[in-house]
Amino acid sequence: MGKKLLYILDNIESYICRTLLAVFVCLLFLQILSRQFFSYSFSWNEELSVYMFVWFVFFGASYAAKLAAHNRVTFQFKLMPASFKPVLEFIADLVWIAFNCYFIYLCIDFIFNKMLPFNKSQTLGIHMKYFYMVLPIAFSLMTIRIIQVNYYKLVLGIDIRDPDSQELEDIKELELDLNDTNKNKAD
Amino acid sequence: MDESSIVLVLFGTFLFLLVIGAPVTVSLGAAALATYFYLDKTPIVMVQMAFRSVGNFPLMALPAFILAGALMEAAGISKRLVAVAESFAGPFTGGISAATVLACMFFGAISGSGPATTAAVGMLMIPAMVKRGYDKGYASAITASAGGLGIIIPPSIPMVIYGISAIGLSVPFEAIEKYGSFQSVSITKMFIAGVIPGLVISLSLIILNYFRCKKLGYKGSGEDWNLCIVADAARKGKWSIMAPVVILGGIYSGWFTPTESAIIAIFYTLFIGVFVHKELKLQDIFRSLETTTWLSGRVLLILFTATVFGRILVQYQIPAIVAESMLSITSNIYIIWFLIIGFLLFVGMFMETLAAIMILTPVLLPVTYNLGIDPVHFGIVMICCLSIGFATPPLGENLFVASGISNISLEEVTSKALPFAAVSAIAVFVIAFVPELSLFLPRLFGY
Repeated sequence: MGKKLLYILDNIESYICRTLLAVFVCLLFLQILSRQFFSYSFSWNEELSVYMFVWFVFFGASYAAKLAAHNRVTFQFKLMPASFKPVLEFIADLVWIAFNCYFIYLCIDFIFNKMLPFNKSQTLGIHMKYFYMVLPIAFSLMTIRIIQVNYYKLVLGIDIRDPDSQELEDIKELELDLNDTNKNKAD
Repeated sequence: MDESSIVLVLFGTFLFLLVIGAPVTVSLGAAALATYFYLDKTPIVMVQMAFRSVGNFPLMALPAFILAGALMEAAGISKRLVAVAESFAGPFTGGISAATVLACMFFGAISGSGPATTAAVGMLMIPAMVKRGYDKGYASAITASAGGLGIIIPPSIPMVIYGISAIGLSVPFEAIEKYGSFQSVSITKMFIAGVIPGLVISLSLIILNYFRCKKLGYKGSGEDWNLCIVADAARKGKWSIMAPVVILGGIYSGWFTPTESAIIAIFYTLFIGVFVHKELKLQDIFRSLETTTWLSGRVLLILFTATVFGRILVQYQIPAIVAESMLSITSNIYIIWFLIIGFLLFVGMFMETLAAIMILTPVLLPVTYNLGIDPVHFGIVMICCLSIGFATPPLGENLFVASGISNISLEEVTSKALPFAAVSAIAVFVIAFVPELSLFLPRLFGY
């Protein structure tokens, strides 16, 4: 039970994002159907789906951090001694964490001190600060994920492969029977 | 505060962070933050920009197209589309490799990504080429080179990103004074404008392929080939052929916006995958949703920091200075195109396509406005240049994928792909020098 809870927590962004994505895709489809067939548009539909989309994006960015999927330029490491790469990447991740922490501070300052009380969303009528809350939450989660990836990499020695190279590995493992077809022809 | 010191802080921090291996998005954001500190300004505006840059209705086309592409793969639409292209091979010199280019074109019409196109087409076509006696290296090279068509033939994810970036930039006042008003950019317009340039590049690949195959002696097999084979493949793949018709027809007729069209494509694919092909499992749907999540998250986080970065550039009129210094070297538009294309090809070799578009659009688009270049035309040239970067070292994703499929060394695939990159580059110059290739169709459709 505890293990399962931990598993869910470890993939929390993935669950949130998949739900948000599925819901806003359906909302937009509903809008198209009702407009085409009943010439009726829900006034709140577009705004709600856009805000769900924003939430989806920032939680998705945190999930991408967990998978170590954020694009980096890496060819320059081939020109350096091998020992440079982990050190430089660790420094780069520290910069990332510092950037996130400062940005979280900015978000909290903005949401609680700078936003005007009548700043409400146009059709939903909900105060914008509830929508903006995704920024500090998602960036905090992202910071935890960066630390998690570095913990796996530096302490436990598990290298988290980014999904792009993972996909490439999968393709290689497929072992398309290129050689076999040639052999058959030779026979 | 003079501009050159701002440029130094902004680009200096950015390049330094890139070199130590920070993610592109962090390099951009931290560079912008450093500039705010340097100028002693409060960066609180970044919070609103984080929300507003992403909270943009047309941008929802991006996850929708990624999801549609992932679902089409799982629903068996992709492989049937490739099978239709394969049936065109016939007994011609270089027939099956020309069919590979054709497959990439078809596939480009449902997918908006280069490596995805290479993977999907390569898995089926590379073995098919090898079976007909083609060299594995050559087979991988043509697939990797044609895979770039995925982002030029609409729908295209880079075009969505370019459209969003360009819409956010206002036309410089001096440019309007000098050249009159410019047409506005829209994603729909980009989608229509990309068709003819996509065909031009495909044609250049097919022509070079013919000559190289002739030299290598790759004749077509299958003398019993006739139109019935094509008709049969088309009948089996009719639901797949309908997919691009649904997506592009909806956009071109003006019935749907690109976002809505992608949503329709998702539900079309779900229907075909579950009820017609009966290949789409619940597990596949979950996996497609997950892939879309991290892909959109990583791209759109860059969009946020690139927006902040671009705003600083525009605020201090840095693009105008670049344009001026370019014009002071030469006012010959061909030489200017030469410089721009050379620069874009160079960037395309090192940087991921979408990140490059988000960083370079705020830098280069105001420059091209000041040179009197149409924004839609420029966008097409930019995307064509960057698509070549998919098949050039050191960061050629298509080459990685193709060499992964065929198990041939990256060096061999690369050396065989370089002539194709060269001929594509020539095609890009043609596209740049003849604006009508990009601008004729949008005008015809009344946009």
